[in-house]
Amino acid sequence: MDTFTLLFDGLLVAAQPANLGFALLGVLLGTAVGVLPGLGPALTVALLLPVSLSFGATGSMIMFAGIYYGGMYGGAISSILLNTPGETASIMTALEGNKMAKDGRGGKALGAAAIGSFFGGTCATIGLAIIAPLMVKVALSFGPAEYFALMVLSFLTVSAAFGGSIIRGLTALFIGLSIGLVGIDSLTGQARLSFGVPELRDNIDIAIIAVGLFAIGETLFIASQASTINEKLQAVKGSVWLSLAELKRCLKPFLRGTGLGFLFGPLPTGGAEIPTFLSYSTERRTAKGVAREEFDSGRGAIEGVAGPEAANNASAAGTLIPLLTLGLPTSATAAVMLAGFQQYGLQPGPLLFTSNPQLVWGLIASLFIANLMLVVLNLPFVGLWVKLLTIPRPWLYAGIMTFASLGIVGAQGSAFALILLLVFGILGFIMRRFDYPLAPVLVGAILGPLAEEQLRRGLMINQGDFTFLFTSWIALTIYAVAIAAVAGPILWTKLSKRGRAAAEALHEA
Amino acid sequence: MATHEQGGADMRRPDEAARRKFDLGGLAIAIGLFLFSALIALDASSYPERRSYAQIGPEIFPYIVAVGIAVFGVLTVVMARRGDFPEREALNWVPVIWIIGALAGMTALLYAGAGFIIASGVLFGGAARGFGRKPVVLTVFVGVVISALLYVLFRQGLGLSLPAGLIEPYLNALFR
Repeated sequence: MDTFTLLFDGLLVAAQPANLGFALLGVLLGTAVGVLPGLGPALTVALLLPVSLSFGATGSMIMFAGIYYGGMYGGAISSILLNTPGETASIMTALEGNKMAKDGRGGKALGAAAIGSFFGGTCATIGLAIIAPLMVKVALSFGPAEYFALMVLSFLTVSAAFGGSIIRGLTALFIGLSIGLVGIDSLTGQARLSFGVPELRDNIDIAIIAVGLFAIGETLFIASQASTINEKLQAVKGSVWLSLAELKRCLKPFLRGTGLGFLFGPLPTGGAEIPTFLSYSTERRTAKGVAREEFDSGRGAIEGVAGPEAANNASAAGTLIPLLTLGLPTSATAAVMLAGFQQYGLQPGPLLFTSNPQLVWGLIASLFIANLMLVVLNLPFVGLWVKLLTIPRPWLYAGIMTFASLGIVGAQGSAFALILLLVFGILGFIMRRFDYPLAPVLVGAILGPLAEEQLRRGLMINQGDFTFLFTSWIALTIYAVAIAAVAGPILWTKLSKRGRAAAEALHEA
Repeated sequence: MATHEQGGADMRRPDEAARRKFDLGGLAIAIGLFLFSALIALDASSYPERRSYAQIGPEIFPYIVAVGIAVFGVLTVVMARRGDFPEREALNWVPVIWIIGALAGMTALLYAGAGFIIASGVLFGGAARGFGRKPVVLTVFVGVVISALLYVLFRQGLGLSLPAGLIEPYLNALFR
């Protein structure tokens, strides 16, 4: 019952007009940027990090959560109508969704996506509200050894799960760790990797790293590609409202997708990629009757949209569990949100629930509100979002660059920050071009200094004895999970190779 | 994992001989990693010595990171040798140089004291030109107008402090 009183208090926080406004702003911005091909929620949050400093901690967190959910739905729109998934979470939606759009049933696909997102997001948020306090109870008993183990887990899993190659993932992680070293060491006051530059003696702001890697790097990457999008934009045909029979067809995919998303979201497997894939293949395998025919004939089955869309929003909520209770980001967007917390001097973790219950429960409650806003806004206004896809690219990307630099200059108040922004932009560009994942850089830069602090504090308490790291059963269990998480994806790609190949073959057909 | 990626890549590509050539881009990344690793180690070796209970000073983590980066530099050479990097599209240099130049130009203008509006206008104009919109006079003009609007919005609306220069004092005077 305690949870529900806290959640009720949270609703009161979330229902304050200003916070409702932030949720609305987040949902609108998230959808708008999510619609644009190639731009995901991680980039949107990163862009708004510096600007949001004047919004207050609760307000900007509520907005970021709205962006996260909104971005997931926006990605579905471009997947269905343009067949260009903005990010990995929407790839599976594009498979059946775009076929439905070509078959003149784009409206239905969008409707199923919106309701699926709402269903998955809401159910998983309830799950989050129930599980998070339990996690907090466990996490409160953690000491330096356990935290260090958790960070190692986070490092390894984020590097192993994103992108195709573990070597490239770990390289990205070490680059991130080295960025985290820059600045004055918190325990001794030694300036590291500063080379006498006064601006480098303060740590490099996470916003600069995130905006440089995601916004500038992505813009450079898109500009560098000679080939432009050649998929035709499908007009929205048919009603977006689902009939009762269609809703009935979607119900089981919704439930299965939500379950998968919520199960995989908190695991450090890189967000929504795996659950959406599992959801799609389940629906495809179990389809009967009309659905079977639609899957096989290439007309596009509504189940193939409903399941993955429920799964990706459910995984977004699931991702918030380790982020809020342990301070561990398991997706790129979560990593940027963590940077947002740190911007206000807040460290997510069990203590946040006791020191800042208003913020935490206000955030959780506003997730429900954001979800409701999404379904209300998106079903009737889908035509408006589609218009965004017609902005000419030069103006669009020039605007993104301008907004990115404005945020950085405004928050840092120095032109030196722009030099760093350019450096990280070029780094991000090179990494994108050679298929290095970007999220490990961010996670390394954020968690690296924390891990070092835990390790050195632990060593001080134990008078320099390293064995304290391996005496706790909890810590040992976490290391075992970390090893499994690195070995797991290798097995996973081996096992799913056939399924994936089949999906790709269909996609090309 | 690396081996089966290789297998997959080879199946799709008949010109296997070309693929077997050393990936020079990957090699360049490896060299960058080695240099960076050496830089971190060099920096760490310059810290004054201290002794504490922990027996672990500020230099330990940098050394660990430097070793890590060097190890992955070696593995990057292996990746480049075996062709484990995914296939890349031909690089379109011109837009990239326009955009990098635009951001560098904005930085230089801010250091020169031209103020946010002109500097940001140049960024916008250069980036739009990079994506193929011509002439650059037009894009910079659009950029200056948009930047002026953003300046008013963020300076007056949200109280963000943006560097003032040639145009900003007149705009601020309008709102006083």
